[in-house]
Amino acid sequence: MLFFSLFVDGFANLGNFKVIASNSAALLMLSCGMGVVIISRGLDLSIVAAMVAGAATFGILTVAGWSVFPAFVVTVLAVLAIGVFNGWLIAYVEIPGMLTTLASAMVITGFFRYEVLNGEYLLMLPSDSRAVQLLSGDAPAILAVLVFIASWLILRYTTMGRVTYALGDNAAAARLSGLPVRLTTLGIYAFAALTALFAGLVVAAASSTVDFRIVTNGSLLFEAILVVVLGGIPLRGGRGGMRNILVGLALIAVLRNGMTLLNLTTQTQDMFKGVVLLIAIVIDNYINPRDTENDTVGDL
Amino acid sequence: MKTTTKTRLLGLAASAILATGSLAHAESKMAGKSVIFVPITMGISLTEAWAKRMKEHAEIGGYTVEIKDAALNTGVMSELLAAAIAQRPDVLVVHNPTVQLLARQIKQAEAAGIKVLQLKLQSNQQSSAFTGANWTRIGTEVAQDIVKECGAGSGKSGKVAIIPGQLTAADSVLMNEASFKVFAEHPEIEVVSNQASDWEPEKARQITATVLQQNPDLCAIFGHWDVHTMGAGAAVKDAGKQDSVLVYATGGGDADACKAIEDGILDREWSYDADGQGRDAATMIDLLLQGVTSADGSMISVESPLKVIKAGEGYRPDLCFKL
Repeated sequence: MLFFSLFVDGFANLGNFKVIASNSAALLMLSCGMGVVIISRGLDLSIVAAMVAGAATFGILTVAGWSVFPAFVVTVLAVLAIGVFNGWLIAYVEIPGMLTTLASAMVITGFFRYEVLNGEYLLMLPSDSRAVQLLSGDAPAILAVLVFIASWLILRYTTMGRVTYALGDNAAAARLSGLPVRLTTLGIYAFAALTALFAGLVVAAASSTVDFRIVTNGSLLFEAILVVVLGGIPLRGGRGGMRNILVGLALIAVLRNGMTLLNLTTQTQDMFKGVVLLIAIVIDNYINPRDTENDTVGDL
Repeated sequence: MKTTTKTRLLGLAASAILATGSLAHAESKMAGKSVIFVPITMGISLTEAWAKRMKEHAEIGGYTVEIKDAALNTGVMSELLAAAIAQRPDVLVVHNPTVQLLARQIKQAEAAGIKVLQLKLQSNQQSSAFTGANWTRIGTEVAQDIVKECGAGSGKSGKVAIIPGQLTAADSVLMNEASFKVFAEHPEIEVVSNQASDWEPEKARQITATVLQQNPDLCAIFGHWDVHTMGAGAAVKDAGKQDSVLVYATGGGDADACKAIEDGILDREWSYDADGQGRDAATMIDLLLQGVTSADGSMISVESPLKVIKAGEGYRPDLCFKL
């Protein structure tokens, strides 16, 4: 931040920090969901697909003339179904989370593109639609703060939150202790899908489009994982919290903004973000070395 | 590349038909032949408009058109093209994502006797024919218009942001070259940002929001595709700068583009009229199937006519097409 403040014209001012906050609202919500999953020693590679699928469902329903509330309820149910299905495959069928969510991301994207959008990858939302208007102005930032507070409350004060940490610390011990690990896994992936929906609505309203290329071509999934790891939540789970998400988000949002102001190409930006992720993983490995207590089969 | 005019192509068409004696004879020369079209993706108005026109012509001419959809996956596109070459169609229609990616396969197809029509985006590799917009012309005309609106005597800052799709895509390469050539002659024009959006509206929106913050006196944005430029236009609208920042785009000129102009998201679009371009491509396929080649064996080329769609006086919704 000091580097950008000193050397980049237009970085250190209130207006630019507002832009950083507005551009990071969706990433914050996605990172909250991803953070909870990673704390449980999982990984949700379908989170961006769920995000776009949720926004597409809501967009299609509102464009078709549904009023906002019933459209929202149906969308929430659809997105929860995605999360619960992921959680069921992981907790009950016992398929590794990474493979489950990778496959479900492909299924969701394929289904929506070819069955729902009839082959299209882009859904244009009228800029005068009620949904777009509701989510303009400060609404994205307020929604992001609410998702952040909800994530913090769940992790800090609920049984689900405590079991999430226990799962990440030692899943086998948590299960042998009689903790509801399977039900909690369902809840974790359902919560991640829900945060993805809110992120999707914010992105769709901001650009008036729902774009499935974000799933196949974009770097949003990478950035969500980057925020979590960079903030200090270890990939093997069990530790960390929302404070870490804030740190990671601040780093990546500032980096992204500063590189845009420096007029670096998107490819160069991706390269720098990759380097930062590698450094973060190496530091994480040094601070949290693997040992016989936490190194288990099925680790990432 | 030797570029012929549309008139010359029509002359070639007329000659081909006259030479064979009758239109019915031309049809019989095409009947039973096969065409394979490999687009970057279906499901967008651009490729759907092309496919519609190709199928109309195929029905009249009695030949088949098979579409192999790469669904935005360049790896899959190479595989589909290899499969298409193995099928030995009479004409192969290719929509190049970059100038280099399919060059080797285009050469291979031509060597195997398959006539390759490159549509809209040209590769480094020459082939039997090309139909598409003249990106250099578009880049030059848009840049000249920006100079007129933002340059000396306009009272504006002269600051311009460019949002290409991908820096290696043929259209972005040529439009950037052409526009920078114009701007070089006008030192009052300053390009403050030239960052690719990967064709994504949300990325274009975020880039624009940041650039507008750094340059509140920005005069114009030149987006290389209307779809992603709509994201940039949304950022301009959010910042309340619709009256001071001009948003330029290029595109196929479908109804969404006109709606964006009506909503003040875009100000000016240089449209290559995807619907008309589809008809040009279909006519070119008819000619290739009838054995038309240029006299010296060079690539036959048809340039798509442009429509400039501007907000304000002279705007008509029917300047855009509906599928």
